[in-house]
Amino acid sequence: MKTSAILAGQVLALALLSSVTWGVCVQTGASQADTDLWNTHGCWQEYFLWQYRAYDMNGNDWNNRGWNDACNSSLEYPKHWNAAYLVTYGLLDNNDQSFHGTADYRAAAEARGSNFHDHFVHKIKDDNGVFGSFDPPDNLFTSCPLYDPSATNSNPASRAGDFMHESWHGWMRKYNYNNGSQGGHRPCNNNPDGTCTLGACTVNGCDYFYFHGVSKYVFGAMWENDGTANRFHSPNQVQVEFLCDVSDQPQPWVPASVRLRAAADANARSAARFINGPGYTCGSFRPW
Amino acid sequence: MVEHFRSPKVFAAAALLTVLVTSQCARRNGPQATGASSVRPSELLAQNPPKPAPALTGSGDAARRSVLEFLSWAGASTPGQREEARVRIAAAASNPDIVNALTSEITSARTRDHSRALLALSILGEMRSQYALPYLRSVLREPLPQPGRLIEGEDPNQTAFAILQGKAASGLAYLNNADSNAEVFWAVANHASRIVRAEAIRAYLENHNNSGEARESLRRYVRKGEEIFLDRPNRGPGERGEVFNRRLDAYLQAHQELTAPAPDRGSGAQQGRGGSNFDAQPPRF
Repeated sequence: MKTSAILAGQVLALALLSSVTWGVCVQTGASQADTDLWNTHGCWQEYFLWQYRAYDMNGNDWNNRGWNDACNSSLEYPKHWNAAYLVTYGLLDNNDQSFHGTADYRAAAEARGSNFHDHFVHKIKDDNGVFGSFDPPDNLFTSCPLYDPSATNSNPASRAGDFMHESWHGWMRKYNYNNGSQGGHRPCNNNPDGTCTLGACTVNGCDYFYFHGVSKYVFGAMWENDGTANRFHSPNQVQVEFLCDVSDQPQPWVPASVRLRAAADANARSAARFINGPGYTCGSFRPW
Repeated sequence: MVEHFRSPKVFAAAALLTVLVTSQCARRNGPQATGASSVRPSELLAQNPPKPAPALTGSGDAARRSVLEFLSWAGASTPGQREEARVRIAAAASNPDIVNALTSEITSARTRDHSRALLALSILGEMRSQYALPYLRSVLREPLPQPGRLIEGEDPNQTAFAILQGKAASGLAYLNNADSNAEVFWAVANHASRIVRAEAIRAYLENHNNSGEARESLRRYVRKGEEIFLDRPNRGPGERGEVFNRRLDAYLQAHQELTAPAPDRGSGAQQGRGGSNFDAQPPRF
């Protein structure tokens, strides 16, 4: 009896250990932008029970990150689905004013295979050195700088913007494009003055901006490309266009804290990440 | 069979298998939560319509409380409440206690919640208050944090602060007097971050109706190689596509260097592994 009890205890301990994820992301709270968006749905169960399937997420990857505590907005999984909620419902889809529509941004962010990318799984990585990554063939990782409450991009718009960015690496792979050797971007060149630039890009990880006007892609057609610069998107460009649509073409309930951060993120990227930049800006020129 | 379970080894193996299978199955189930809502957001929003803006008033502790209440309201405010907020903010311009309470909140939020710091700085800039000028100037002139670890090729601490400094530049440009514009010109010429220089140019131009005169004023300060910022278009909230498209076309016409080369092909198309193709529609909002 005593042996059985000891063995049972050991088995239980092993099982518990096997299910624990030792995370390094900070789980102490949520940014005001996350909280403001959260309050618009109040932890809507029907949505997150749809979302985890649409984004192909599972408890193995998200254990101890809110998978079993999906209404705790301090944790990573609730923050992930909060950002997904913005993608699913937060855009106005104005043919005359939006760069792209919900059909595009949902297809880019969600897991299922489509013209936008082959199927992938949304996972989390304990890494403070990247915002996210697309690891072929089918892993879309987001990382701590999108979840730590004090981090610049720990807000729903920037997190969802990263879904677009990483998924576009999947689009590149599907259509056989090479966007560069620096994490899927082009590396900058080190200058004697200590800066690192490539054309107008001032960070190490540069893209081209394939400029297009409003209404040049019907909603649902963002994936289209013709092999030339005339009809093409880069990962940072898709991210900027999404962030601009959150800032300027949101649903009437999208909170100001989310829109402000979206515009700030878009404009910072637009100024610094494009070789043939700068890209355009968006958001009000007034401080508020 | 019963005899087998009297062996500790068999018991242990069976127990291990059972627990592991159970835990794996549990983790393949959907997420769990306590306190979840079954109310559709459309109903929730109908039950809780946007609240009117609180006043930004008071002195001392009352001013501090007023600022905290206003920040809570402002963060959650909707696009339709933008003008209402602007009226409330402008009404507080002559209250130094409100300005001081806001600046304290910005300083406090800078390292703990970037979205809140940006929100508070937006309000301070929108206030167009002479009392805000010294703080906006001090934020703009503060050196960027020392270079640190890069994330995807950028220094996140420097980018975070540059975004706030860009907002400070936008507040100074909106204040739009000789002293504040001098700060904007300083940033255009001297700021270490391209993000801040770009925002200073945008804000100055837009606050001067993109006039030729404003462009010429800026041209004296713009760095060599950054003249293109004088021409780039902005798409504002609610702007019609045809208006933006005309400006974008003019930008591309004036700057042939913006034309991207043809994209590079990869080493061969690669197929994914396949997987769940869950395509159910999301629940009705």
